[in-house]
Amino acid sequence: MRILVCAKQVRDTQAHVSIDQSGERVIVDPSAPSRMNKYDEHALEAALSVKDSLPETVVDVVCVGPSEWAPLIKRALGMGADNGIHIIADDDEYVSPWATASRIASFAMDRGYDLILTGVMSEDMMNCLTGPTVAELLALPYATSCVLVRLDVSRQVVYVEREIEGGLRDCLELRLPALLTVQSGINKPRYPTLSNMMRASRQTLETIDSASIPGPEHTEVLVGLGYPGKIGSGIVLEGSRQEKAVKLLQILREKSLLV
Amino acid sequence: MEKSIVLICEHANGKVSPVTYEIAAFAHELQRLSNGSLIAVVLGEHVQQAAGEIAAATGIDVLGLQIPGLENYSGEIFRDVVSEELPPLDPGYVCIAGTSQGLDFGPSLAVRLRACCISGVERIEDKSGQVVFSRAIHGGKIHANLASAARTTVLIVQPGAFRPMSAGSVKPGSISLKIMDRGSSLTRSIGLKRMQSGGSALAEARVIVSVGRGIGKKENLEIVRRLARMFPRVAVGASRPLCDIGWLDYSQQVGQTGATVTPDLYFACGISGAPQHLAGMRGSKFIVAVNTDPNAAIFNMADVCVVEDVVGFVSDLLKESDGSSEMADKSSPANEAIRP
Ligand SMILES: Cc1cc2nc3c(=O)[nH]c(=O)nc-3n(C[C@H](O)[C@H](O)[C@H](O)COP(=O)(O)OP(=O)(O)OC[C@H]3O[C@@H](n4cnc5c(N)ncnc54)[C@H](O)[C@@H]3O)c2cc1C
Ligand SMILES: Nc1ncnc2c1ncn2[C@@H]1O[C@H](COP(=O)(O)O)[C@@H](O)[C@H]1O
Repeated sequence: MRILVCAKQVRDTQAHVSIDQSGERVIVDPSAPSRMNKYDEHALEAALSVKDSLPETVVDVVCVGPSEWAPLIKRALGMGADNGIHIIADDDEYVSPWATASRIASFAMDRGYDLILTGVMSEDMMNCLTGPTVAELLALPYATSCVLVRLDVSRQVVYVEREIEGGLRDCLELRLPALLTVQSGINKPRYPTLSNMMRASRQTLETIDSASIPGPEHTEVLVGLGYPGKIGSGIVLEGSRQEKAVKLLQILREKSLLV
Repeated sequence: MEKSIVLICEHANGKVSPVTYEIAAFAHELQRLSNGSLIAVVLGEHVQQAAGEIAAATGIDVLGLQIPGLENYSGEIFRDVVSEELPPLDPGYVCIAGTSQGLDFGPSLAVRLRACCISGVERIEDKSGQVVFSRAIHGGKIHANLASAARTTVLIVQPGAFRPMSAGSVKPGSISLKIMDRGSSLTRSIGLKRMQSGGSALAEARVIVSVGRGIGKKENLEIVRRLARMFPRVAVGASRPLCDIGWLDYSQQVGQTGATVTPDLYFACGISGAPQHLAGMRGSKFIVAVNTDPNAAIFNMADVCVVEDVVGFVSDLLKESDGSSEMADKSSPANEAIRP
């Protein structure tokens, strides 16, 4: 089994974010911690658990991003991935998910992966597009929002359960090679181990310059960023914490919401 | 010829899914800004009934693609059929709901149509002659405004963002049906599996006290439960991460992949307000949010915003309500329930 996991770095979702003067870039509080996109951690864990049961499995991790993201790939190796691929992209502008997908697809094209895993969504850009776009560019069958993944190597298929609305799961079998996007709740990602981290620190990452990969022709363009408008009446309670509590009780009573 | 605006409808068990009427409303708004004739496409094993309902309720012409054996959604068949049937309609825009179906087939449909694809669309406006689509990024704290540079654009619309089109007195649209024989070769549908029995306490509750990752520790859930006891006909809800780690049951999850609720009061404790969460609770009549981050997206939707630590604030609220209940009617059974 050869498995490719796509992973990107995000800043903690609780970080303060604002828009710069150009109105086109997001400024994230630089003191906020960086980490792996949580859905990608679940994807990586799903790949590593295949490797646990089929030791001859090779798990590669690919990341498209600036040089500063290299530690993220090392961390993936620390968790147990075999090889790290860094497609270096120092884009300073809006990046279409199609562009990211083209970069990943052009790398994966002739590497013979049996299975490609991505997260269902990136926590910062929230596109939910990159995985299916990679699959389509590579003409692979795919399934999104997987909450259960079971490989059947002898039959060369993967059985998955997709989360759909209304407490239901859509169960299907895909012929390998295939691509899956992984939803949270599927597993509990492991921590890196010391021995793997030591191996990772000695290992060199394969790097590819994204400029060598042609991008898609017609995509969307960023017109600008903005803060969302208010929809609720949005009274902000002022005063000490206790005063706010008193005020809220009063509002709830006036609305006859308390008993 | 004018380019068309195609909407792909969702239906299940012979019934049109409510989200289809949101897409219809969105498509009408788009038509006002960009012209083009509307056409609704509906696929499945039996589409006649759904097609009739859509044509009657929206006045839009419907193309029903009847595919024997397509009992449930199949990504492979949807992608194949839609990408073949659309080009003759010359679509400028293809509108799809951002559901587990739409997010599944939409992106690859875009690749096949050489279209640009914008997901999570929550708003649409005309900016000096350019149609601009607004979508949430960074958990909904920021919106990105995007325009298409392609001939065809696939728009995946955020569920809950557009008010569903109400069935007015419109002249029904025409219906054309086409029977197609299609199968899948690379994927095999095995069927649907029910994980929860549905109909959880959330549906009947008048008040929902909902808890998110901001609660910090599992032990802190107790204080939220005590808060809940202040209200009549109350249920405790949760954001997805709390269900993922097993602190609360998936039947308590509110949002796009959880329950859609419309209580009189939604009390959000330590919830950021990601679009996928808002999708399930934006119909609440009154929303109170407690969050330490003054920029949390939930505050854009809230009627009362409390910028505080949730545990500290709820403790104060319980204390204050206990104090004032001394003066209130002590025989009230609900006041009894407040006492820890
Ligand atoms: C396909 C898909 C479907 C999804 N469906 C759903 C769904 O149905 N329902 C759902 O909820 N999510 C869903 N999600 C996940 C969603 O995107 C968010 O990740 C999730 O809603 C975030 O939950 P949260 O607000 O609890 O956590 P976070 O986003 O981490 O927010 C925690 C909040 O708590 C605040 N906080 C921190 N400390 C405190 C404190 N001491 N006191 C007060 N506040 C504090 C923070 O400021 C922050 O705003 C889905 C995602 C995908 C990709
Ligand atoms: N820059 C990137 N590098 C590697 N993988 C990525 C990148 N961007 C997105 N992905 C993958 O695509 C998934 C969905 O991202 P998105 O389409 O942006 O929501 C993520 O969970 C990742 O697995």
